Amino acid sequence: MSISSPAERDELNQLLQQTGRNDQKAFAELYKRTSSKLFGVCLRMLRDRGEAEEVLQETYTTVWRRAASFDASRASAITWLVTLSRNKAIDRLRQHREELLDDPSRLNETVDEQPTPAAGAETSQEYQRLQHCLDELEPQQQSSVREAFFTGATYNELATRCKVPLGTMKSWIRRSLMQLRTCLDQ
Amino acid sequence: MNMPIEDGNNNLRYAEYVLGVLDADTRAEVVHEMQTSGEAATAVALWQRRLMPLTSVIAEVIPAPYVWARIHDALQLDAPARVAPRKGLWDNLQLWHWLGLGASAVAVALLVVVALPRPTTTPAVVAAGYMASTIQQDNGSTGWTATMDLQHARMVVVPATPVAFEQGRAPELWLIPAGGKPISVGMIARDKPTTLALDPALLAQLGPTAALAVSVEPVGGSPTGQPTGAVIAKGAIGAAPDAGGKVAMIEVRQANRSRV
Repeated sequence: MSISSPAERDELNQLLQQTGRNDQKAFAELYKRTSSKLFGVCLRMLRDRGEAEEVLQETYTTVWRRAASFDASRASAITWLVTLSRNKAIDRLRQHREELLDDPSRLNETVDEQPTPAAGAETSQEYQRLQHCLDELEPQQQSSVREAFFTGATYNELATRCKVPLGTMKSWIRRSLMQLRTCLDQ
Repeated sequence: MNMPIEDGNNNLRYAEYVLGVLDADTRAEVVHEMQTSGEAATAVALWQRRLMPLTSVIAEVIPAPYVWARIHDALQLDAPARVAPRKGLWDNLQLWHWLGLGASAVAVALLVVVALPRPTTTPAVVAAGYMASTIQQDNGSTGWTATMDLQHARMVVVPATPVAFEQGRAPELWLIPAGGKPISVGMIARDKPTTLALDPALLAQLGPTAALAVSVEPVGGSPTGQPTGAVIAKGAIGAAPDAGGKVAMIEVRQANRSRV
C-alpha cells in the first residue's frame, strides 16, 4: 500500500467521505487500505500487540462515528486517520504511564526509525522536506523530537530516558519545534 | 519565521500536543480549546500537516483478521441483507447448545426445519445463507459446532464437550483457504458459545475448498497472526446433501493430539 501518490490520497479522501455518509462498503475498503498503516503506528507507540489491536479497534469505531466531521480542506484522510490513531495511542499511554515507566525493557528498547533504503524511495516529498529540516537540528535535539513523536512520551519520561533535567528536555524540544516551523514554513 | 515571540508560547502548546509530549490534563485542555476555538483547531491542523509525514517511515503491519471482526461486531454493521433478519432462530442459544451436542446431519436438518415456517420462502432459499460445521475430537465426540450466517456475516461456535487446555492457553479458530495461509477467525471459548463477526475477506474464503482448524494459542491469540501452537483439529468443508448443496457441512476431525 502506497499512500504517497496523489491519486491514492484522493481515493482515500473519497472513501472517508463516503464512510461519513454511512457507506459500509467504503468503510470496509478504507479499513483494508489503511489499517496496516495505522496498526504499524499503534504497535510502534504501544509496543504491545494486544493493546495495539484494542487501540486500532477504538480508532476505526471512532472513524465510523466521526467520519462525517472529516474536512478534506483541512487535512488528507490519511493524516486524519493517523492523527486519530496516534491520539488514541497517546491517551492509552497516559493511562498506563506508571506501568510503562516501571518496565525498563520498554525504555531501553532502541528502535531504528530511520527509513530503510526501500522505504526511503517511497517516502513522500513532505517527509523528505521534514527530514531535511530535522537534519538541521542538533543531533541530540533531533533524536529527542523523534523519540517524542514515535513513542508518545511525556517531557518527564523523555528527560528520564535521556538522563537530562526536565528543563533541558523542554527547551530542547521547544527550540526544535520553533526551528522546524521556521524551516518548514519557508 | 515571521512569528512574533509572544504568540510563540501558545502556538508551541499546539505543537507539543501534536508531537505528543503533553500530560493527560494539558492534552485535555488543548482538545477543549480546539473544540471551542477555530484558531486553535487551525493551529493544531497546521502542526499535524508539518509533523505527520514522520509516520511515513513507520513499517506497516497487517492486523489480525479478528480486529476487523471486532469492529464489525462493535458497530453492528450488516452484510448486505437480502432477507429480513431471523432473530428468533439466530438468538436461540438453546438451539446452539443443542446443535453443539447433536449430530451434524441433524443440525443441518434442523436449520432447514426451523427456517421453514416462513411461508413465502422456500427452504432452499432460507438455508442458502447458512453453513454448518461439526468439529470432532479424537474420540469421535463433537468438540465444537460452528454455524455461519453468511447474510449477517457471523459465526456462532458452540462447544459440546469442553476440551481441556493448559492455563494461559486457549483455542483459536482458523480458516485455511485452499493452498493459502491460515486466516484467524478468532479466539473461541472452550465452555460457552462464541459469536464471531466474519469480515468480507473471510466470507469470501468460506467454501468447499477451504478448511477449518483449531490450534492451541496464548489466551490473547496467536502473537504472530499464524498458528503457533499445536493444531488440534482440522477438516475440509463439504456440501451437505440434506439441503441440496445449499448448506455446507464441515467435517473437522481432531489431529493427533500427541504432537502437542
